[in-house]
Amino acid sequence: MRKTFNQVSKLFFVFTLISLLAASCASDGKKSAKSEEEKIIESAQDVDPKMVEDFNKSKLIFYSLPSPLETAMLIKRSGARYDEQILNPTENVTNYNTNLKMALNLGIYSADLSYTSLFDQTQSAIKYMACAKKMAEGLSILDAIDESTIKKLEDNMNNRDAVMEIISETFMNSNAYLKENDRPAISVMVLVGGWVEGLYLATTLTNGSMDNNQRLVDRIIYQKLSLITVLNLLESYSDNEDIDYLQQKIGELKSIFEEIKIVNTSKVEAETDSENKITTIKADSETHMSKEVFDKLLQKVAEIRAEFIS
Amino acid sequence: MIRKQFIANIVGSIILFLFIIGVDANAQCLSFAKKVGKPKLGNFVHDGNYNATTLGAGETAELYKTFFKGQKYRIAVSKIDNLPEIHFRVVNEDNKTLFDNKDHDYTDVWDFSVETTQTLVVKIKVLDDYNTNELNSTNGCVCVLFGIEKNK
Repeated sequence: MRKTFNQVSKLFFVFTLISLLAASCASDGKKSAKSEEEKIIESAQDVDPKMVEDFNKSKLIFYSLPSPLETAMLIKRSGARYDEQILNPTENVTNYNTNLKMALNLGIYSADLSYTSLFDQTQSAIKYMACAKKMAEGLSILDAIDESTIKKLEDNMNNRDAVMEIISETFMNSNAYLKENDRPAISVMVLVGGWVEGLYLATTLTNGSMDNNQRLVDRIIYQKLSLITVLNLLESYSDNEDIDYLQQKIGELKSIFEEIKIVNTSKVEAETDSENKITTIKADSETHMSKEVFDKLLQKVAEIRAEFIS
Repeated sequence: MIRKQFIANIVGSIILFLFIIGVDANAQCLSFAKKVGKPKLGNFVHDGNYNATTLGAGETAELYKTFFKGQKYRIAVSKIDNLPEIHFRVVNEDNKTLFDNKDHDYTDVWDFSVETTQTLVVKIKVLDDYNTNELNSTNGCVCVLFGIEKNK
């Protein structure tokens, strides 16, 4: 009896191990091994190959939002000035206790950190890195930002390239930690916080004028395209209460962005320079945004951002 | 009672074992992205986004990203050595192919600039491996990293 039981236990062990290993290997993001859809495709021998190809289209989709670092680079490149007064005060860091608030403000402080660094405001950058560290710790993101990160930042105060590398690395660490520890919804909240802060900095730096800095206004208009990415990202995790809240907030922005027109006025053509390994994508487009819509956008972005940092 | 305890112990051990394996594999993917992916960006600064996953031969993924006018981007696609080559294409919203690495010896690094801000899709496919059967085909880390040319 005891022997039989042991044999059954062994069989059970082997069977469970194989099944779980197979399941573990197959599950990754939105992929699934041999879904019903794929089985149907496989069984259809005489269908159009193009159709099969379409059915086989990627099950794994990434949406890459402009990171806080990229947004700060866009702002800097547009010729905007530095204004410390518009950043989320570092004293606010103790106010955030929920996962939603800590995630949003990890994104917000990362954007502020990137902005201060690109304008060589190193002392402020160190303070904002400390705030990002506190938020990451609150979210139990291990090893993304630690004391050695702050030390590295201090040691490289006068080397902007090194500072950017440090920021990029810490952002990737947090991003990867959350994604790979089954907390992708938190990762999305961080990205949304960073994106809204970038939009807030850009809109505030216009001082309410559409004419002072046309390049900056252009950057704001084209965030309409990023907004679609934000919405797609949020849609992927809409079973989460905090994500529902963000969908509602970003939805309010969407209704304003819908009044902004971006029209492609030429065909898209690519010109590849094989020797220098670069492709230039040529196309023209025209944009239109009325002053009324611009004011509405500024007001709504400020309202949402105020809610995020409260 | 003893049997139940025994089975519970076995299941518990299996779950713990799989958790450790899973976490370790994921950590390896991040480490791979840092050690293999990032250096390919050269003097472009990594934007900080982490786009990495585990893929096998014949599998595909796509990545949506807005490319901003005036910014120069570098795309670096990396895979573990055991995987076949990665085929990647950059297409626009009308699915028009703007770049295909097949025409450039399956290069894993390329630069892009756009004259108008637009959202592009990077479609990647791990090429089929006809030398192995489905049972012993390899899966491994694939990452797509974006670099931005530094402000001058």
